[in-house]
Amino acid sequence: MGAELITVSTDTQFVHLAWKQHEKSLENVEYLMGADPNGKVSRLFGVYVEGAGLALRGTFIINPEGTLLSSEVSFFNVGRNIDEVMRKFKANLYVARKTAEACPAQWKDEGDKTLTPGPNLVGKVHEALTK
Amino acid sequence: MTDSTNGGGLQLGASVPDFELATYDPTKNDFGTVSLDQNKKAGKWTILFFYPADFTFV
Repeated sequence: MGAELITVSTDTQFVHLAWKQHEKSLENVEYLMGADPNGKVSRLFGVYVEGAGLALRGTFIINPEGTLLSSEVSFFNVGRNIDEVMRKFKANLYVARKTAEACPAQWKDEGDKTLTPGPNLVGKVHEALTK
Repeated sequence: MTDSTNGGGLQLGASVPDFELATYDPTKNDFGTVSLDQNKKAGKWTILFFYPADFTFV
């Protein structure tokens, strides 16, 4: 899909290796596991918690031009839904190609209803989504 | 939340400064590095997925 998924924590790459080899639920992992032990990259994205030395659960989508297009952060104790991450990624790919359109909340994949913002859509979002 | 996140982070639509990370690549079972510039040059999107710690849930 022309994308690189990188998971990042403040653990080192050596701990990533050990975790990958021990945790059964990581058996099929194929993405790069990034190490940010000094918190530099976590700070850049505003997810580093100084007192804890840990990164919050932040997800960031950056296009090939280097522009930040999506960001979502939740606290330590609430996990993310990977389907929602992929939905946002696919939506970003879609609107990068179809620049006049926008993907509403219910958009899941290619072929689902999109919106085309403009004078005709003002006050008519419901009609556009249900017609 | 004064002890919370540091550095404010980046605004959506902003150009992300280059960064580099040491990596473990499970497909090659090898260490390496990855950088934003490298991905940009390859025409790739970059998805960063931060989490607090290995050996916990993600």
